[in-house]
Amino acid sequence: MEPLLDIRDLTVSYRTPQGPVRAVDAASFAVPRGEVVGLVGESGCGKTTVARAVMGVVPRSAEILGGPVLFEGRDLIRLSERERRALRWREMAFIPQTAMSALDPVYRVGRQIEEVLVERGGRSRTVARARAAELFGLVGIDARRLDDYPHQFSGGMKQRASIAIALALEPKLVLADEPVTALDVIVQRQVLDVLKALQARMHLSVVLVTHDISVVAYACDRVVVMYAGRVVETGRVAEVLERPRHPYTMGLTNAFPDLESAAGELVPIEGSPPSLLDPPRGCRFAPRCPFAQPRCTASEPPLLTDGEDHAAACWRAEEAPALRIQAAEAATWRR
Amino acid sequence: MAPLDGTVLVEASNLARHFAVPRSLADALAGRRPMVRAVDGVSLRLAPRETAAIVGESGCGKTTTARLLLRLLEPSAGSITFRGQDIAQLDREGMRGFRRQAQLVFQNPFDALNPRLTIRDSLVEPLRNMRIPRAEWDDRVALAMRRVRLGAAEGYLPRFPHELSGGQLQRVVLARALILEPSFLVADEPVSMLDVSVRAGILNLMREARETLGVAALYISHDLALVRYVCDRTLVMYLGRIVEEGPTEEVVRHPRHPYTRALVRAVPLPRVDQPRDPLPIKGNVPDARTPPSGCRFRDRCPVAVPRCAEEDPPLRPVGDGVLAACHLA
Repeated sequence: MEPLLDIRDLTVSYRTPQGPVRAVDAASFAVPRGEVVGLVGESGCGKTTVARAVMGVVPRSAEILGGPVLFEGRDLIRLSERERRALRWREMAFIPQTAMSALDPVYRVGRQIEEVLVERGGRSRTVARARAAELFGLVGIDARRLDDYPHQFSGGMKQRASIAIALALEPKLVLADEPVTALDVIVQRQVLDVLKALQARMHLSVVLVTHDISVVAYACDRVVVMYAGRVVETGRVAEVLERPRHPYTMGLTNAFPDLESAAGELVPIEGSPPSLLDPPRGCRFAPRCPFAQPRCTASEPPLLTDGEDHAAACWRAEEAPALRIQAAEAATWRR
Repeated sequence: MAPLDGTVLVEASNLARHFAVPRSLADALAGRRPMVRAVDGVSLRLAPRETAAIVGESGCGKTTTARLLLRLLEPSAGSITFRGQDIAQLDREGMRGFRRQAQLVFQNPFDALNPRLTIRDSLVEPLRNMRIPRAEWDDRVALAMRRVRLGAAEGYLPRFPHELSGGQLQRVVLARALILEPSFLVADEPVSMLDVSVRAGILNLMREARETLGVAALYISHDLALVRYVCDRTLVMYLGRIVEEGPTEEVVRHPRHPYTRALVRAVPLPRVDQPRDPLPIKGNVPDARTPPSGCRFRDRCPVAVPRCAEEDPPLRPVGDGVLAACHLA
């Protein structure tokens, strides 16, 4: 089946005083209907820029090169501002990291949901009011709180309200940028559960931008791993986390503490991501990769599938089973 | 809870800190002065070289506790001793000694250093404040940088903070905290602002500091998974109180307090087949101005019994070196 969103060779370049920076460089991945896709990577890897480019809200200093970004077959990049506005909220909606950017502090929360329903959805005031109450119910907030102002809400409630606003017009696609990062762990879990339940019920497609692979494991069907502006690995979550084919993904799973595995040593990936002003030649992870070979710094590996549904951009992806064994050893990553 | 060999570096007894909160008109008319008991009767001990963590959600009082322990904030009640001395009674000279021994690692490395000072100047500042002879500065700076693996050869010293990455900055922050060779380090969410791939490096350096300098550390964190890697002992706070305390592995593997159970269960795991059933906890953290009677967790507790509303459960030993403040533990 045709995916809902199909991103092909998306490149986003920022103008900076030091020169152009390709925050996203030829990124390709698809979002199937009714699935949750985790977009994971470190700060500056381009994950937020991808989400913003899809929503059509990149800053003025950014230029979108490449593409297309196909949403139900239409190229989002070529849409006029008017056509985009028609899509926003109705077809695709955004949940930001902090509800501060979604909720206006001077209006009652219920009113803000009604506004989306009336202004964007053409609903009547009466219908909008009833629907707002219903949406509050869906995200687990008492409808009596519709007349509260955002500051009267806890962080978790604000984020639930952002979800209610995003889902108000039953969009097909929701882009959520680190929607639970700012929340406490218990609230985090509760908000993720609300999002997951509604996603299943409404058969939504969700792009969940996060730095946390445990959140991906908990809430996502598929994962797209980004590094330094590039997509380095994609596939089903179980497949990618259990049998990573890119050394960066292997390193991430070592570096991340969890509550289960033996409380031994955390193994950092030495060094830090490259400057995108002057990215290294060849594979961008090569300078930090314990498995790098001369060809890795000579030319950049393409994102290739293993024939199944699992793709990696690594010259040594074929050797992944052997590399995984080495990657599990702390000594491999030590410099 | 007593450290193994009986020696104590830092001890807090019945520590409390109340903050006045803005009064509503109704409060004013009724003559009420609403207070938040951010920290309400916390006792803890830290042995030399020990690494412990206070975990809990925002508003539980963990950061206030840390600030009290460093005397960055005065307690409303209770006392703190450092090497047996009451830190409230220290004179100027005594306080200077305490400041030298007790250091803080900030959460946000981008804020922790003066942007107008070079890395070297930032490192020299504590040496100057503590009147370390100028002749020793260069050696101490070089040693501090070596400790955090920022080799002198790379020329970090003349640079300014904005020229360094977050991970490098946090290494400098750590170097600065260690430059006076303190015996007590408080780290408030030391890696939460950093990228995943560099967090482990900082945590490993902090572990090393304990080995080489014998520094005791108290981590303040919301992240149980992280705490598991660095701390021998974990204290769980809820609404201003310690509700559970014990060896980290015990607390994580066999949580005794219902709140700890929910907290542990809420942490997602990096694998696909993991429990997804609803958390054993109800509602939200109650208003800290009006905590429930008896056990403060009871209105969210899945196993609460009538007694929980009447009697405030004390923190008591429940086996395996664990203390829990629950009637049912």
